[in-house]
Amino acid sequence: MATAEVDQQKKFKWIGTRPVRPDGLDKVRGRANYGADHALPGMIWGKVLRSPHAHARIVSIDTSKAEAMEGVHAVITAADLPEILSEESKIGEGPTNFRDLSHNVIAREKALYHGHAVAAVAATTSAIAQQALEAIQVEYEVLPHVLEGDDAQAPDAPILHDDLFTKGVEPRPTRPSNVASRTEMGRGDAEAGLAKADHVITRSFRTKAVHQGYIEPHAVVATLGEDGRATVWASSQGHFMIRAYCAKLLGMDQSQIKVIPAEIGGGFGGKTTVYLEPLAIALSGKAGRPVKMVMSREEVFRATGPASATRIELRMGCTKDGKLTGAHARLEYEAGAFPGSPVGAAVMTLFAPYDIDGCLAEGYDIVVNKCKVAAYRAPGAPMAAYAVETVVDELAEKCGIDPIEFRLQNASREGTQSAFGPKFKRIGNIETLEAAKAHPHYSAPLGPNQGRGVASGFWFNGGMQSSATVQVADDGTICVVSGNPDIGGSRASLAMMAAEEFGIDVKLVDPQIADTSVVGFSDLTGGSRVTFATGMAVVDACRDVIRQLRERAASIWGIEVDAVKWSDGAARATNGDAGLEPLSLRDIALKAARTGGPISGRASLTARGVGMAFAVHICDVEVDPETGKVDVVRYTTVQDAGRAIHPSYVEGQMQGGAAQGIGWALNEEYIYDADGKMENPGFLDYRMPVASDLPMIDTVIVEVPNPTHPYGVRGVGEVPIVPPIPAVVNAVHAATGVRITELPLSPPRVLAAMDARRN
Amino acid sequence: MARVILTGSLRDLAQTKDTGPIEIDAADVRELLRKLEDRLPGIAKRVEDGLSIAIDGDIVADPLLEPIGADSEIHFLPSIQGGS
Amino acid sequence: MNGSGYEAPRTVEETVTLLQQANGAARVLAGGTDLLAQMKMGMTSPALLIDVKKIPELASIEQTADGGFRIGAAVCGAALAEHAALVAAWPGIVEAARLIGSEQIQGRASLGGNLCNGSPAADSVPALIAAGATCTIAGPGGTRSVAVEDVITAPGKTCLATGELVVDFRLPPRPDGSDARAAKAGDAYLRMIPRSEMDIAIVGAGVSLTLDEAGVCTAARVGLGAVAATPLRVDAAAAALIGTTLDDAALAAAGEAASAAARPIDDKRGTIAYRKQVAGVLTRRAAKIALARAGGNG
Repeated sequence: MATAEVDQQKKFKWIGTRPVRPDGLDKVRGRANYGADHALPGMIWGKVLRSPHAHARIVSIDTSKAEAMEGVHAVITAADLPEILSEESKIGEGPTNFRDLSHNVIAREKALYHGHAVAAVAATTSAIAQQALEAIQVEYEVLPHVLEGDDAQAPDAPILHDDLFTKGVEPRPTRPSNVASRTEMGRGDAEAGLAKADHVITRSFRTKAVHQGYIEPHAVVATLGEDGRATVWASSQGHFMIRAYCAKLLGMDQSQIKVIPAEIGGGFGGKTTVYLEPLAIALSGKAGRPVKMVMSREEVFRATGPASATRIELRMGCTKDGKLTGAHARLEYEAGAFPGSPVGAAVMTLFAPYDIDGCLAEGYDIVVNKCKVAAYRAPGAPMAAYAVETVVDELAEKCGIDPIEFRLQNASREGTQSAFGPKFKRIGNIETLEAAKAHPHYSAPLGPNQGRGVASGFWFNGGMQSSATVQVADDGTICVVSGNPDIGGSRASLAMMAAEEFGIDVKLVDPQIADTSVVGFSDLTGGSRVTFATGMAVVDACRDVIRQLRERAASIWGIEVDAVKWSDGAARATNGDAGLEPLSLRDIALKAARTGGPISGRASLTARGVGMAFAVHICDVEVDPETGKVDVVRYTTVQDAGRAIHPSYVEGQMQGGAAQGIGWALNEEYIYDADGKMENPGFLDYRMPVASDLPMIDTVIVEVPNPTHPYGVRGVGEVPIVPPIPAVVNAVHAATGVRITELPLSPPRVLAAMDARRN
Repeated sequence: MARVILTGSLRDLAQTKDTGPIEIDAADVRELLRKLEDRLPGIAKRVEDGLSIAIDGDIVADPLLEPIGADSEIHFLPSIQGGS
Repeated sequence: MNGSGYEAPRTVEETVTLLQQANGAARVLAGGTDLLAQMKMGMTSPALLIDVKKIPELASIEQTADGGFRIGAAVCGAALAEHAALVAAWPGIVEAARLIGSEQIQGRASLGGNLCNGSPAADSVPALIAAGATCTIAGPGGTRSVAVEDVITAPGKTCLATGELVVDFRLPPRPDGSDARAAKAGDAYLRMIPRSEMDIAIVGAGVSLTLDEAGVCTAARVGLGAVAATPLRVDAAAAALIGTTLDDAALAAAGEAASAAARPIDDKRGTIAYRKQVAGVLTRRAAKIALARAGGNG
């Protein structure tokens, strides 16, 4: 469906302003309904029994004692769910294999990680459910486990899946492997490019698994009636995704499941799949009662999807005057217990900011006995950027060139053949670099033990499918209905685009998120796509309504519709029908019943013309020379937003991405003991930054409009997490002289590196 | 004639490391894939299994009816996972 | 959290009786910031909670006749900070107590609870050890006075017998100008955490100093946290400071002594090497702050 363009130079009434957010009051007053807030009469509580072993064959499960307990209404194991054949899904984000998804929701033959669900119970109270879990007897045959990607590739490594053969290598392997696949991406001849270089840097990097750390744990209430119809209340990044996945995993039709979205307390990619929802439906079916399940924080850490741990080997070279000539990267990403790390995206993004003669990236997707990874904000890109952006910093230093100047000399721009294939369309790489260079932060003086780092970041952004309906009430107000959970301010921006289209006050537009039975299919909220893609659907639906409004005005006036135009909230007669007073939206709405009935518009589309995003971050740190503690003392994010619909939300995304990236760089990590049990499954020892750890994060929004979006929008939610790790690491180098190639930059690691340099 | 450029892991379909552009006359992606299958057996299955197609720099996930211009440049890419 | 009994006695004697009757199945509840969290995590499920916040001796701060202080074991961190005379005399103890938890936790968490939780990383304990604080322990056989460094015997374990509770902490008097050999004094506590707050010490160091009129250190005590199975009193570090003006050599020696005394473990929060090294750094730095507070030549 083609969306008509608007004049990119036009002055807007609402776009670019900062109206009060429609969801704000309920949130600050504690009235917003999150996943765990829902309750139904007769509701009972579900809990999950989890594997105490990192790798074990499930010999038997005896649930009889639990079932006999007073207050226990249902106990389920994998035997209560249909067995799912191997099949690739394209419903969610990136490929998911339904059999793997089913086995991750509840273990069938083997438990593949510590915390893997093996059974679930529903009981009248949460305490009884907990006691019932303890009464379930599982006999395990403990198997050798493998926790690290390196070890998983050893010839004698324990094999997680007997039917997993490495994809993407020739000849096709005959023995199963923990390496699920190999992918590569590049252009030109990487080795020839490296051979031309005067300076070549070779480095090996390691990063640990990190969690998105959303505040709201996963929560669901589900009912499954005797008629086979289910209703699910859940917080997620996509209720259509939940419907499709639950239908598939439970052998139901999608029409039998209605999913009602709750307000979401953070997702960052971590709520793009199902964990509890199929279990809650199955328990409800067995119990004949609504079932509520809420994860503890410990369960969130142990059994949902963090970002991959990685190992990256990188060689990059440039001429002595600073022209990048060649690059080669080998990226190994841990996927957790089932294939599907975001190494493919890493392979495609890592060299994107640069125009390099020859580059090649090889990616390996590796299974290990740890929880299955999930998407996390620009999945795969931050770790790859850590490698590339710190090596670029080192090359710039070798050449004696300012790091932003070095990046400008090598920057990809419109028409550059990207490292992942196609030529770039209009992008803001150069503009963000120039804005960063011109920012006062970049030339501000530094204090003792302080250093400054910069880094670039790139993310594709997503398009995908969206639907919207726009309804006109007879008082002339508008309801905009979409099918995307709002995790980044999409309700505000959709309402503002609608207000702009109609030329009415944004207060007259009510943005709503509807359940799966009310609005057309919408892919999940992810890929920084909603303001872009669902925004296009809303604009199209508004234009459908405006066409009808013109028709109604024409019929009221008795003139041709072509002689009616819509501007500033009213239908106006053209062609010199001077006597006709404009008809406002309200005037026409009042007469709707007598001019053809209710007025509404709809649009469903697959969004085209995604605008790719670039960002540059500037970071100042102060490093305690005696303790190795790194404090971020000043931080500026510069990002091309295309056009910021509601700049406060865009700034919030930029700041939030920077904060998460700084945490990833400095202190966050999954720590496992030798048995594969995570040792820090809580926010005390899984150290995300607290407010006092961070300075004010300054923002500079650069606007290079996306030419194919009606308002020039590019996705803004993900790219801000790409530059922070290398920006912090480069700043630590500037402050201390050490280049640290393993995350996190915790005080012991930084101090050890500084001591090694001093001695 | 549209030009199809194979990069990365797709190059193995062509059985050679240095494939130049493949020139194909096609009005839309469906026609392109049909004609390309003769030259690169297995490409249609790969697309079905989850490849995106970039037409003149626009990445399109599900593009069968997408028109292709006379001078369009076509790339095949792995599907991208998104977070946010 | 299963149902526990709850009592809120008004006297120490009643509390002792309840503790005796429960015969080990009761836990004393002051602020509850450790105990309730442990109960929620299923680490402990006491049959009886005895809330001691309503006992006047446990809930008050007094200046004693000798010029020292008596701090009730259940007084919360926020109340310590509001006591101007205490803050003036023992800023190191108050700053240590104020590091525990968040602002909300500060309205509950007490010195008694911090000590009796038995954590080697308890923030207030090294500062109390440095201060030479003793605690009054009441039990079936009456009361006894125990030096703070002798209370924690192992991680999570204290010297308290069944039926005993900590009633208060006694701090010695600070110089009043009458003794030329003890003209000035100061204390300080520092801890290393990877974040800026809401964390548990990887290393904690408390130092208390007394100086003569010439600025020579005549008495010193050093306490270390999170570097051994229990908080430590490090006499060798103190000895390195006594008789000096805390010149760089003396500070370095004190730091080395602290590092040498540390017997830490490797765990998820830090390594042996790091903890030993930073124990020395923080001892040096805390000593300098204590010196400045004493009005020394630092």
